[in-house]
Amino acid sequence: MVATTEAAGCPFTGKGGPILETGSLIDPEISARPKAYYDAMRADDPIHLDPKLGMYLVSRFDDIQSIQRDPITFSVYEGYNAQYAKGYFEEFKQILERDGGGYFPDAIMSDPPYHTRIRKLMDNAFSAHRVRELEPRISEIVVDVLEGMADKGQVDVVKAFSVPVTIRVICEQLGIAQYNADNIQRWSLAVTAQIGRMQNREQMIENAKGLCELQHFLIAQIRDRQDHPKEDMISDLVHARTDDQAEPTLTFKEVVSLVRALMIAGNETTATAMTNMFYILATQPKVAEILKRSADDDRLLSRFVEELLRIEPPVRGLSRMTTKEVEVGGKLLPKGAHLLLMYASANDQEDVFPCPREFDMERSNLGRHVAFGGGPHRCIGLSLARMEIRVAAREVIRRLDHFKLDIPVEEIRYLPTVATHSIEKLPVSFSRRV
Amino acid sequence: MSALEVTFVEEDGTVRTVAADAGQTLMEAGKGNGVVGILADCGGSCACATCHVYVDADWLEAVGAPDDVEAEMLDMVSDVRRDTSRLACQIRLTDRLNGLRVAVAPYA
Ligand code: HEM
Ligand code: FES
Repeated sequence: MVATTEAAGCPFTGKGGPILETGSLIDPEISARPKAYYDAMRADDPIHLDPKLGMYLVSRFDDIQSIQRDPITFSVYEGYNAQYAKGYFEEFKQILERDGGGYFPDAIMSDPPYHTRIRKLMDNAFSAHRVRELEPRISEIVVDVLEGMADKGQVDVVKAFSVPVTIRVICEQLGIAQYNADNIQRWSLAVTAQIGRMQNREQMIENAKGLCELQHFLIAQIRDRQDHPKEDMISDLVHARTDDQAEPTLTFKEVVSLVRALMIAGNETTATAMTNMFYILATQPKVAEILKRSADDDRLLSRFVEELLRIEPPVRGLSRMTTKEVEVGGKLLPKGAHLLLMYASANDQEDVFPCPREFDMERSNLGRHVAFGGGPHRCIGLSLARMEIRVAAREVIRRLDHFKLDIPVEEIRYLPTVATHSIEKLPVSFSRRV
Repeated sequence: MSALEVTFVEEDGTVRTVAADAGQTLMEAGKGNGVVGILADCGGSCACATCHVYVDADWLEAVGAPDDVEAEMLDMVSDVRRDTSRLACQIRLTDRLNGLRVAVAPYA
């Protein structure tokens, strides 16, 4: 193996090797620690057919960009549906129709022009300026959760911080006042498992049950907002209008699927980013030092958040399907090729982000990372996510100090899914900052 | 609604003068007319910097400076940011901006 980055003075990042022939993204070891696998792909086979998964893994920055910018050739609709509840779809659908109030296909996982209409009807709720107004309330929630754990000295940050904060924020945004956070967490995992490709039939049935409960819960909320609109996102969706004459509003089915999508998409992803923040604070004392001096520096905090998302993107692989034969990155793909866009790999590409494994908040092209995807499907919740993580960083660094991982790095476990790279549990100790 | 004209210079030097209405954003005018490089991934919510333009010196004053939220977004693309940088989705067109001229910034 040859160190490619020696000249630039970076730590060695690895390259190529036999891992591509023998490995698969669904091997638990590779799934948990995929960097070497990504490196090998980018070096030797940038669009790599993973036979066990039955998908082409797209690993290079440019290829991901061009695929994202052509939503007709590379269909989210086809890609998502080929992934969804794979192997058990008919049974899964029947369970939802029988016990879950209906089967509500994901309106946002669609292609233009339908997708364009849906995005327009959602956009209102999400502008960066509107999110800015939420900052004080998000701060209150973060501070409240932090104060509850600050004197404990040691917690699992997933359970004690990341999950409760994100659930409270998204429920408040949606306007859901009464809820059981454990249920929401369970439902969340049940939904994301459907695109994870790592559930067996028993787990599918269990997850389908969770989804049924979630749908009943949300349908009650939606019915309520139909008659009693409030200042919240569910009301925004129920009452959204465009100037499109033929279909100016969302259908009930669409609203259910979108509220469900917002609750779930914004949940595990943002929570994972917050957990990753503790991971960085505990393993990179230099970064923690810089942050300690910068709790009031908005520019630096924003850069911290972007670099955190670049270096540890919570969403690592979402799918597309080709609608015709097409060449990408020098490879001819047949019609119907199922692709997984490996955002985490693109974010690690050396000629785009020099010394990619270094946490460097001063990168001049930070905004180029693809942790939020790109093109017309770019994450709609990104302003909210950025705000939540930034507030979390600020309040954590104001209150806590001396972060230390309480398990060896090699023992950190990740959720079994190809779609995200989410730490299951992260015991961290710390002291209150004096 | 009054008909305005605005001019985009695309990255390869192509000059595109397009019609726009007061009340539209500069991004909408560009994207609606297929100006190359006005991608507008986030739909105009000031969250992606894929509608980045350089405002012609003569028009800087009339267009004005970015607010905090926009400045933060521009900071994320500091490799291509200039003093004249603005996000086109944050420029609301008015009669005063009739004839506005901007260059489309590169997107890696
Ligand atoms: C750090 C947190 C987050 C990350 C890393 C993230 C990541 C992503 C990515 C990569 C996509 C692109 C999908 C694609 O191209 O196929 C996406 C789409 C989406 N995200 Fe996020 N997201 C986050 C937070 C949120 C939040 C807070 C919400 C909502 C409250 C949200 C709602 C959505 C929705 C609805 C889509 C689908 C958009 C579309 O297809 O048009 N996300 N997200
Ligand atoms: S369109 Fe995204 S910032 Fe202007």
